[in-house]
Amino acid sequence: MEHQRSLPVRLLLYAATLLALIFFIGPIVWFIELAIRPPESAFAVPPQFVFTPTLDAFRHILVDPGTNAPQLVNSIIVAGGTVLLNLPFSIPAAYALSRFRMRGKKNIMLWYLGLLMAPPVAFLIPYFVLVTRIGLSGTYLAMVLVLQTLTIPFSVWLMKSFIDEVPKELEEAARVDGAPWYVVMLRITLPIVRPGIIVTSLFAFVFAWNNAAFPLVLSARGTATLPIGTLGYFATAGVTWNYIAAAAVLAMLPPMIVFLVFDRYVVRGLTFGSVTG
Amino acid sequence: MPWLLPYLLIAPSIVLLLALIAYPLAFALRNSFYFWNLQMAPEPMGFIGLGNYRLALTSSSFLASLENTVLLTLGGTAIEFVLGLAIALVLSAQLAGMAPVRALLILPTTIAPIVVGFLFRYMYDPGAGIISWLLRSLAVPLPPQGLLGSQTTALASIMFADVWEWTPFFTIVLYAGLLSVPQQIIEAALLDRASDWTIFRRIKLPLVSRTALIVLMLRFMQLFNTFDLVLVLTHGGPGTSSRTLGYALYEQGLVQFNLGLASAMTWIIVLIVNALIALYIFFAFRDWEW
Repeated sequence: MEHQRSLPVRLLLYAATLLALIFFIGPIVWFIELAIRPPESAFAVPPQFVFTPTLDAFRHILVDPGTNAPQLVNSIIVAGGTVLLNLPFSIPAAYALSRFRMRGKKNIMLWYLGLLMAPPVAFLIPYFVLVTRIGLSGTYLAMVLVLQTLTIPFSVWLMKSFIDEVPKELEEAARVDGAPWYVVMLRITLPIVRPGIIVTSLFAFVFAWNNAAFPLVLSARGTATLPIGTLGYFATAGVTWNYIAAAAVLAMLPPMIVFLVFDRYVVRGLTFGSVTG
Repeated sequence: MPWLLPYLLIAPSIVLLLALIAYPLAFALRNSFYFWNLQMAPEPMGFIGLGNYRLALTSSSFLASLENTVLLTLGGTAIEFVLGLAIALVLSAQLAGMAPVRALLILPTTIAPIVVGFLFRYMYDPGAGIISWLLRSLAVPLPPQGLLGSQTTALASIMFADVWEWTPFFTIVLYAGLLSVPQQIIEAALLDRASDWTIFRRIKLPLVSRTALIVLMLRFMQLFNTFDLVLVLTHGGPGTSSRTLGYALYEQGLVQFNLGLASAMTWIIVLIVNALIALYIFFAFRDWEW
């Protein structure tokens, strides 16, 4: 960085980095190994670090009998549907909050933020009763609707931070030519922030994908998402850890890919755009 | 009516969100004044005034869950912040080879809390879990019921899993903050023979304090609402030793189906959370530009 560090200091820094790497990544590797190790070595004492890998657990959960395959599809439907439904609500709101002068802007933004920090469990019980009463029990629609309480505020905040970065001068030029506001929004601003909208959608997808509280209560056997389905293994006698790990690896992959590929937006995504790093 | 336009653009999202939160809150408020167990009757079974609130606030298990939540939230946030900042400082030395480490380090934070629960339940297994094995190898005495099965270690074990998942969150965000500290300031300080510690305390820390405040508060609120980890790791046990407010509410409402009592607990929690959010917003967004 700013000055040349001495050798001992550098060695110390490397040691600390290595330690952090082992501590934070080790458990993930260990769990992925559980998914591909022979079942009899899952609880070997001392732990077995070397083994012949097998894809049996993945075959079991995805193909034969494919216990978790429908849940994987359900997770994609619920998270994907949630993001799609959220866009027509959050894009206009984010645009308005970024571009128009209006009273109460701060309070509206903070209200959205407050929703993101609300305890989900507090809403579970009423939703459970409501959904049963109106006949939406166990449907995708129930989960997709309820998840909007998370994805809309999240997307509005994150997208506003992207729209804020588009120079206002670009819009003013078009306005001088007499274009109405919606033409300016649709033809000029939104195409420029398209990458921002895509990044927002992917992080919102992860947000919905990782939510377990709502599907836990609102899904039925046929619509259970991957983590909820995986939870079911604990209810059966003789917990089959290889299957749990294989299903969990599937559940871990999409968020990991999004975070690694969009590394430069991670800080912004995790702080809802309030830290643009 | 140009002044109306922005409100019209925001309206659909506000209306949908209001509909989604007004119903649960009204539902809980009304039923908090009734005795109602869903297994006994499909409708509220009798008006009991503030009985549910009194019951919740005098029940030792509810108070225990409040205490656990406060311990978990304060302890977890503090450890994650200090550890996260320390790692961020190490990485900000930007030695060769550290860049990919920083990118990989975020991985725990990307995992759903419920899946983190699976991971740690495997590693905590009293017989062969790798954490239990490591501790035994280091001659650390372990409770015979396992780390998750003992009153003294259950809550700490949940906190440890949370620290594993969320420390990288602090690291990544604070690292970004540290890198944005202008080089000229640091070089000027070095010319004045300032020590690393002085540079950290007098220059870097004040400059990342705003970012730090935001992430601290966000994490504080999330931890306060902890539910998934408890569900997978301990179900709040043994006894009430690891029960959090979120889990207590879930158990009362969706396991025991005591909707009246659960509704009163919902409102108590909503009031606490709202007070915390108001404090949060006051401190973190005081000098914000909109």
